[in-house]
Amino acid sequence: MTDHDSDEQHGFHRHGDNAFVAEFSESEREVLINLVEQIIELLGERTDNHVDDPLAAMVGITTHDSPPEDEVLLRLLPNAYADQVDAAEFRRYTESTLRAKKYAHSMSMRITLKSALDGIIEVDHDGANDWLGAMNDIRLALGVRLKVEQTSHEELELLAPDDPMRGVYAVYSWLGWLQESLIVALMDEAI
Amino acid sequence: MVKVDDKIEEAIKEIFSGDKPWVTIVWDDPVNLMTYVTYVLMELFGYSREKAHELMMKVHTEGKAVVSTGSREEMEHDVARLHEYGLWATLQRGDQAI
Repeated sequence: MTDHDSDEQHGFHRHGDNAFVAEFSESEREVLINLVEQIIELLGERTDNHVDDPLAAMVGITTHDSPPEDEVLLRLLPNAYADQVDAAEFRRYTESTLRAKKYAHSMSMRITLKSALDGIIEVDHDGANDWLGAMNDIRLALGVRLKVEQTSHEELELLAPDDPMRGVYAVYSWLGWLQESLIVALMDEAI
Repeated sequence: MVKVDDKIEEAIKEIFSGDKPWVTIVWDDPVNLMTYVTYVLMELFGYSREKAHELMMKVHTEGKAVVSTGSREEMEHDVARLHEYGLWATLQRGDQAI
């Protein structure tokens, strides 16, 4: 886990009982739309292309019982059991539901962003939870690619200016800060 | 009036958990924010801020923590909800070494 300072003045703020507001520049809005659409696309890749049993598809049973080969998808759709047999069985019955829920979080975030032409985002408690889930999925995906697990923050901050991962790390850090601002705003009401 | 805080609630739960030998474990990972883990535990399990914070700190310092106890079915439900919010969680028998 990581800790994050959020003393800057932008990010999410609470407005009244059940509204959380943030203002984004056009470029920030574009970055967020771009990222969330990539998560939506990635989750879609795991959808069954051909389903032999329509009844199974209807009740959410997938043909997938092996974990995703892609490292990012594996982090988004992890095993629920250490035991491989139990993990496969659980995945067969639950993965499509998990994918659908993550997809719904991302779609909710995308719709808010797409309709906020002036860059002002306003979400209620449920919308905020969608945003948190979606932003977290984006950060998990970027974290896998940045190899956050094996690399220290100091090393990531010292990446060469021409290293594309330097920009990715900047986006990752900014998202962490944005996520933190929304959590702080939400926790205000929980006191 | 009897006052039941989190610790007493936990003790009572243990008394009744004889037939519920499954646990949900949250594992530390370097991406999830500490405040996010706390928030998700409050939101999903209805834990107080103090209890959620305590569990989060346990995950952070010890690498893992049992966040809920119950039947296998209940724990599968908890793990699925934690996965929905991107926490790294697994379930197993309570008497199994973690």
